[in-house]
Amino acid sequence: MSNSLRPYLSAVRSTLTAALTLQNFSSQVVERHNKPEVEARGSKEVLLNSLTISRNESERVLIEPSINSIRMSIKIKQADEIENILCHKFTRFMMQRAESFIVLRRKPVAGYDISFLITNVHTETMLKHKIVDFIIQFMEEVDKEISEMKLTLNARARTVAESYLMAFDS
Amino acid sequence: MSLLAPIICDNGTGFSKIGFAGNSDPSFVFPTAIATRGGPAAQSARGGPPIPVKPGNLASKRGVEDLDFFIGDEAVANAKTPGYGVHYPIRHGMIENWDHMERYWEQTIFKYLRAEPEDHYFLLTEPPLNPPENREQTAEIFFESFNIKGLYIAVQAVLALAASWSSSRVTDRTLTGTVIDSGDGVTHVIPCAEGYVIGSAIKHIPIAGRDITQFVLNLMRERGEMTAVPPEDQMKVASKVKEDYSYVCQDIVKEFRKYDAEPYKYFERYDGEHSVTGRKYGLDIGYERFLAPEIFFNPEIYSSDFLTPLPEIVDDVIQSSPIDVRRGLYKNIVLSGGSTMFQHFGQRLKRDLKQLVDRRLEASVISSGSTRKSSGVEVEVISHKRQRYAVWFGGSLMASLPEFYNFCHTKAQYDEIGPSICRRYQIFGSAT
Amino acid sequence: MILLESHNFVIYNTLAEKVAKPSSLDVVFVDFDGVRFHMSTPEKKTVIQLSMNIRCWDELAQYGALDVLTREYGSLITAATEPEYNVTLQVDLEQLPAEADGREAMLKSISLMKRNVLGAPFELAFGEQKKLEDSGSSRGQLMQIHYRDEEAIYIQAASDRVTVIFSTVFREETDRVFGKLFLQASEFVDARRPGIQNAPPSIQNAPQVLYSNRDPPLEIRDLPGLRHSEDIGYVTFVLFPRHFAKSDASFNTISHIQLFRDYLHYHIKCCKAYMHSRMRHRVSEFQKVLNRAKMEAATTERKTVTGRTMISR
Repeated sequence: MSNSLRPYLSAVRSTLTAALTLQNFSSQVVERHNKPEVEARGSKEVLLNSLTISRNESERVLIEPSINSIRMSIKIKQADEIENILCHKFTRFMMQRAESFIVLRRKPVAGYDISFLITNVHTETMLKHKIVDFIIQFMEEVDKEISEMKLTLNARARTVAESYLMAFDS
Repeated sequence: MSLLAPIICDNGTGFSKIGFAGNSDPSFVFPTAIATRGGPAAQSARGGPPIPVKPGNLASKRGVEDLDFFIGDEAVANAKTPGYGVHYPIRHGMIENWDHMERYWEQTIFKYLRAEPEDHYFLLTEPPLNPPENREQTAEIFFESFNIKGLYIAVQAVLALAASWSSSRVTDRTLTGTVIDSGDGVTHVIPCAEGYVIGSAIKHIPIAGRDITQFVLNLMRERGEMTAVPPEDQMKVASKVKEDYSYVCQDIVKEFRKYDAEPYKYFERYDGEHSVTGRKYGLDIGYERFLAPEIFFNPEIYSSDFLTPLPEIVDDVIQSSPIDVRRGLYKNIVLSGGSTMFQHFGQRLKRDLKQLVDRRLEASVISSGSTRKSSGVEVEVISHKRQRYAVWFGGSLMASLPEFYNFCHTKAQYDEIGPSICRRYQIFGSAT
Repeated sequence: MILLESHNFVIYNTLAEKVAKPSSLDVVFVDFDGVRFHMSTPEKKTVIQLSMNIRCWDELAQYGALDVLTREYGSLITAATEPEYNVTLQVDLEQLPAEADGREAMLKSISLMKRNVLGAPFELAFGEQKKLEDSGSSRGQLMQIHYRDEEAIYIQAASDRVTVIFSTVFREETDRVFGKLFLQASEFVDARRPGIQNAPPSIQNAPQVLYSNRDPPLEIRDLPGLRHSEDIGYVTFVLFPRHFAKSDASFNTISHIQLFRDYLHYHIKCCKAYMHSRMRHRVSEFQKVLNRAKMEAATTERKTVTGRTMISR
């Protein structure tokens, strides 16, 4: 783990843990509605200040807390075109399966690659620190996975090119 | 617009039928098997693709280990090559291993069909009651990996119904009917109403091609005919007997008498050759000829745990369907799959089913005490020439209609909406 | 399977099957690059008619495709070409060579029909190179083969080389990025710096490859109707006499080079398939991590007074 990654992740972890203080809260606008306030944005007083944790200009996390839900968005490092494509593919692939990743949002918030939406129902039925663990582990591994995929892709491209060109000499 | 023929892919549990629309037979029929490096055990233990070793060392083939595999007949032929393990990505009609299936399709398209997926529409089939998630996964593979032009996923039973339109006895082209689909592993009885499968009424019968072959083998062993046949060829001989000599009789007792009275007329001679040594052998085929398919009608002669005859199952299925479609279901019973190919199979099924239905009608007339007579229920079983690959043929028919292209979801639509678009497909011949 | 094969499986299999057991037949099928085939038995079961439609037939015919076909198939070519198709062969199963080897070779050669037709301009260029070398003039004609809607092959002979340029269009962003990666890798391999990645000696003999994105290479820059957009790529192969001087080398080179585009796109797809399987694996790993967060639901069996189990549905 590189030097700046550790403090970055631990900052995210503590902020996220602190933000996950959610309670059941019915809508003040529509009777008998109980919606994640961070999404519904019906009443201003239940929304808290959102905050951004940045590691550098290409990697940052946005945490938007509210009384009964928090939304967390991650921007993943993308150094070049290939990483861009791979990252896009990977997050898309995952969001396609959002129903099995209970806390995953189907669409990322504008300007970010992937978003999670955690509501009070999630914190009540699941272990809070384990949810945080999951998100941190995701952040750790997604970078690793993308760079690994890129390496494989390069190795593959070279092999494929080699075998094509070598076949001319037979 | 000069379009290339759509590709029809019917991937079944045992065999895949693949070809181009407009043809009457699939271009390729081979096992749905894939042989990959690393035996089945190693594969499941790791559970995922191999993480490449550090780049830059040995083997010029690094990074492309996942291209080292065979499919179809080649996979089966390589089953014993050290280092390869054979996998069957489809279980009970449904895709279980998507990694293998994706590669299976990849090689089907590029090695066998030699088509560029970008230029073709595809028609795929799925079993009844396939979860919609599987459709989405399939769509994801076909649109994202292969960039195909358009995709239609059809239910196998519905295609089998469409295939029966080729029979001269079918007058109105309806998608209401009962499909009896008997392949190698299992037999399904599936009622369809207006192109929709009535899921709650489907029934499965654990008797199919493989069981018939086994039954023939048992019979011939009992009669001592198999002694001349080398053990490794016995299964092959049995399936040959099943395919080439068997037929459905109308009455077993009469048939037995006929054979005993004139054995020379009815017994057949089979000559084979040992597959390895080339030694010749011959054997007599007798009662197996009509007993083999009889296990559909009298399952007690083969198995002790499944005892309901096929006509009764069909009747049950139709009786558990909504009442307003029952007449349509009785009137259009369609056969599909290799194990329904026996001569006179349809006639026998029709006769037995008719008896069941008539008996019930009579009973209800008596118990109601009414003097009025029922007008009766029409029972019709359709057999046709394309029965063996009926599902594929139905697909070929559908995909050669000009409307087919409107029913497909195109790449542009997929990009717009996402895989969920494939949850719903318009049924052929229906109003929007 | 890394390399694609150049013969058509359907033709080969069908013919082999029909040799063993003639029966009537009527099928249509395709090959790469939008080639359509129609195989049928219009008159009798033993005479198979095989017709081919290829998009760029007019261009190919101009570059001597018919001569190549006549050389390869001779009397099999029929004068009456089936409508909508460009060339028709008639194979009489009873006239095939009797011995197995000869028949095998015959079937193989028929299944290479597309390769032979598309190989004509290459053969022409190779011949031209020889002439140019002798006469000392510098450049031959520039042959264009528009083998797909938006893509073409350009072939030009010079006194010491034959240049083959492919233009290829990527319909999707992912394809474009992957394609670029592959093509850059070919250029890199081409650099074949001694000692790097312990490159095998055979790489040394490979043709030179140049890749340009967007802008067409010099040789064809003046042609009208070229596109200058992000999604198009130009790949230049420079073939030297060692690639086609001997007849078997030339045969091999032609079969190989005409599949270049298909090879490229095939591997882009394989690559995506591989990425998918990796992602599937990773996603299921993440799933496991998330599942750890779920609390175990209390699963005590509830029973009624009489001892029957309650089942929730």
